[in-house]
Amino acid sequence: MNEASFPLLSCIILWPLLGAVVVGAMRDALLARKAGLVIAGFELILTSLLLLQFNPDDSNFQWVERHAWIPSLHVEYLLGIDGISVLFLPMTALLTLMAILASWNAIQHLSRFHLALLLALEGMTVGVFCALDMVLFFLFWELTLPPIFFLIGLWGIGAERRLAAAKYTLFMLFGGVALLMAIIILALNHATPLQEGAPQELVFSLPQLLKTPLPDHLQATVFLLLLLGFAVKAPLLPFHTWLPTVAMEGSPHTTALLVGLKLGVYGLVRFALPLAPSAAVEYSWALGIAGGVTLVYAALIALQQSNLRRLLAYSSISHVGLVVVGIASLNIQGIQGAILQLLNFTLVASSLMLVAGFIQHRLGSTEAIHLGGLAKVMPRLGCCYFLFMLASIGVPGTNGFPAELLLLIGALLSHSSLAITALAGAVLSAAYMLSFTRRAFWGEAGRHVNQITDLRPRELLVLAVPAVLVLAIGFFPNSVFNVSRTTAETWLSYVLDQQSLKSGSVAKDGVSESLQ
Amino acid sequence: MDALTVFIPLLPLLAGVIIGLGNFCGVFRGEAKEALATDISLWAMTLSCLMSLVVLGADISGKNTGAFDAGEWLRCDSLVVSVNFISTGLNVRLAALFAVLLAIIMRFSVDYLHREAGYFRFFFVFNLFAFAMLLLVLSGSSVMTFMGWEIAGLCSYLLIAYRYDRPVATTNATRVFVTNRIGDAGFVLGIGLSYLWLDSVNWIDIKNPSNPLEIGEATAIAFCFAVAVFAKSAQLPFTPWLARAMEGPTPSSAVFYGAVMIHAGIYLVIFLQALFEQAPLIMGLLVVVGLSTAVYSFLVGLTQTDIKSSLAFAISGQLGLMFMECGLGFWDIASWHLAAHAIVRGYQMLTAPSVLHHVQDNPIQPVSSFLVQSRWLYLASVQRFWLDQLVDWGFVKPIRQLAHDLSYFDGEGLDKIMGVSAPAMRAAASLAQLKERSIGARLDNEFDDFSHGSGLAGTLTQWTAATMHWLEDHLVLEGVSNRTLGYSRELGRIVNQVERRILRPRYLVLFVFITLLITF
Repeated sequence: MNEASFPLLSCIILWPLLGAVVVGAMRDALLARKAGLVIAGFELILTSLLLLQFNPDDSNFQWVERHAWIPSLHVEYLLGIDGISVLFLPMTALLTLMAILASWNAIQHLSRFHLALLLALEGMTVGVFCALDMVLFFLFWELTLPPIFFLIGLWGIGAERRLAAAKYTLFMLFGGVALLMAIIILALNHATPLQEGAPQELVFSLPQLLKTPLPDHLQATVFLLLLLGFAVKAPLLPFHTWLPTVAMEGSPHTTALLVGLKLGVYGLVRFALPLAPSAAVEYSWALGIAGGVTLVYAALIALQQSNLRRLLAYSSISHVGLVVVGIASLNIQGIQGAILQLLNFTLVASSLMLVAGFIQHRLGSTEAIHLGGLAKVMPRLGCCYFLFMLASIGVPGTNGFPAELLLLIGALLSHSSLAITALAGAVLSAAYMLSFTRRAFWGEAGRHVNQITDLRPRELLVLAVPAVLVLAIGFFPNSVFNVSRTTAETWLSYVLDQQSLKSGSVAKDGVSESLQ
Repeated sequence: MDALTVFIPLLPLLAGVIIGLGNFCGVFRGEAKEALATDISLWAMTLSCLMSLVVLGADISGKNTGAFDAGEWLRCDSLVVSVNFISTGLNVRLAALFAVLLAIIMRFSVDYLHREAGYFRFFFVFNLFAFAMLLLVLSGSSVMTFMGWEIAGLCSYLLIAYRYDRPVATTNATRVFVTNRIGDAGFVLGIGLSYLWLDSVNWIDIKNPSNPLEIGEATAIAFCFAVAVFAKSAQLPFTPWLARAMEGPTPSSAVFYGAVMIHAGIYLVIFLQALFEQAPLIMGLLVVVGLSTAVYSFLVGLTQTDIKSSLAFAISGQLGLMFMECGLGFWDIASWHLAAHAIVRGYQMLTAPSVLHHVQDNPIQPVSSFLVQSRWLYLASVQRFWLDQLVDWGFVKPIRQLAHDLSYFDGEGLDKIMGVSAPAMRAAASLAQLKERSIGARLDNEFDDFSHGSGLAGTLTQWTAATMHWLEDHLVLEGVSNRTLGYSRELGRIVNQVERRILRPRYLVLFVFITLLITF
């Protein structure tokens, strides 16, 4: 643990929140928009600065800030980052900036409130990535809900946007209950129960919880509860139905934020596996199957979609399945691939969703039947879409390829049948993406389509930055892996060591092979 | 001289990037800029062609060390993917041959595509393809070869869909890419298995492993690569894609399917000779598939009436013969066959549009008599042995129907089971409805239930209450009556329906597949 001399993380969390208040209080809408842009831009600079200052060879938490918060319960204000979380901060800032730019003219009504909510959401999301105290984490986790609720409900584009907002919130609250129960079990496990009153020595801080191993009978409970909580957000198979609804009803840039920031899978890596390591190793096959089923199921449904936004929602679910397969393989390839793929979401899935938003803004629809011939009318948009689509199906040269390669190899090393499933998913992903491209972007342009204009400079800027990053990471994936390598190795050896300490037996074949 | 191998693929990539970016930013537009784009492409290609000839010369005079390492692309634990190139042997010879053919065909396309709408797009893709192909043959790492392999496939997709406003072109392009993607999956699995058993993804370790592979492992790896090469070189289960791919402009057909890309598969087999020789089963497979493709292509080719289709079947037939030669162990013959075929077929493809002029005094022969006499064979030949239809019927359609069923299940089943069905949601979602209800404008009557819940738990409680109420009402109070019998009959009918549905072939196949995956 390296305590920070300067509270940079607090600044990164508080700056957008402060900005939200300032923007909300402004009178002039245009000025507020410009101020919002500056605030989001400065946040991106701050987070990039953090990334530059980050020491990738140190696997401990860095920039740690520790203050007592609720002393009677030992709840602390504990922040810190490591190689797994540091990369998500600039991505969050970039994505928020993209969302603000993409919604520049699209939001006319209550635009200051909208901007304030976007900035507040950014602050909360950054908080989720930085929080190391379980209560603080849970607070940020739940506080992301109100901004999203209003973003979907007030500025959605579908007729049933309020319904979608309520559906999203109910799903997330359901997941939150499971999380809260897991957190309480963890804290109580550390405490020594006294005869009267509240138990002493409750602990909520992650580093300390990691040092107190759970007894065997609680491991499975905690793991399943955490898994349930994060699976709803991720989303994994039976809990995914909120995402297509939100994609259809919510505004595209809000959906882009939701598909781009995979808090659920991050929580799985950060909390669920390390906190219940022996259960994680024991049930890794179940996690893998959940991932594999999600992967194929969502890919097959995507094959059937006629609306670009729904298609992207299902393709995003399918990719989450692939990431979970990688995490479940519990080897360094799987986990490194999973981290890279999560970062790819921020660039690829959200950019595709923004492209869908640009089409929606021009034509009022993303149904395939209303499109057709877009490539001829909007060559630049077509180009950007095509690049992101290739990244999404993992074509070499884009950032999707190294991630998928590592995930597949990771799966092959531990559960080979999952790797074959994942390969089937890769074929399917090409099929659904390309057949939609064929219907929407190629062919003869219709009468309505012929009248629209190509990307404007502002929109081009929004897409150009992720496009450059997609190619840059595709050609130099080591730049990302170098940041997360040491942490990922420590993470993995922690999860596997706990298992071998506990049961006294050697872990499964695949697992021990990956350690060699 | 080894270091030159890096620049051979790099130069076309640079040219491609310049043209692509220029066109995207609006610099390269219109006829006036065609000359500039042409100059850039031709200079890059010619230079890379000259360099490949220099490397070839150096190799023949024995000045090359054999490998050049240009750095690391990816490192993850013991998985190290380096950017390394091979500068001796088959790789250099093929690189030189391909570079020369690419340069010639590029020069040909300059005039052929003059004033076409997609001029810059064509040259962007062509340069990208040249990069991919040269990377494919020169790379010393299986991952880098795969990059070339897949980017080449992508370029072929882009050029089949060159006239993207024509529905036939775009449908064919999609079909071709997805078919090739199956082969690519085999390639990736091959890479993964090599890493698993050999702890390396470099070709040199795959060909000459430090501790020899068991025969089963060698067979598995060779099988994966065999699937990849069959797809790429249009061998039997995959052959129909080649005829579909003839949709692109002539120079692209020449360079992709006549001269260069189609030979990538056979190149890989010859290159991996050492691996395939450890797996006699796969050698047999090469012979069987090669021979049957040759026979198939011969029979189908007899009845083709347009020049590009007949050339397509001639190509797959010749490639089948090459695979057979490899399978029988005549590796040298196969590589000579490859080189000769690439040159001849490239020329034939380029001259295909002017074939009418060439055959003016020499009309096309009628279909041979033995085929005419056997009616069924003739029909099969005209229908190309129904291969496309078979794949549609056995593969594409069941998957589509499965997708349809799942989609229905997702919307009608899962969404409702998760307890947030629309009416319950509306109550929570919209305050306006409360107002509407209070002034008497009732929108829905579902709220007449005495108990009403929302969310999973609420709905469950509500259902339980309703079921208990129903049971109480109908069974306990009325006793077993005629209506109960009617209900049980109805229930029986539903169960029958479900069973019929589940016994549909697609579900049976799905269950078998899942069982296989679990036991694997």
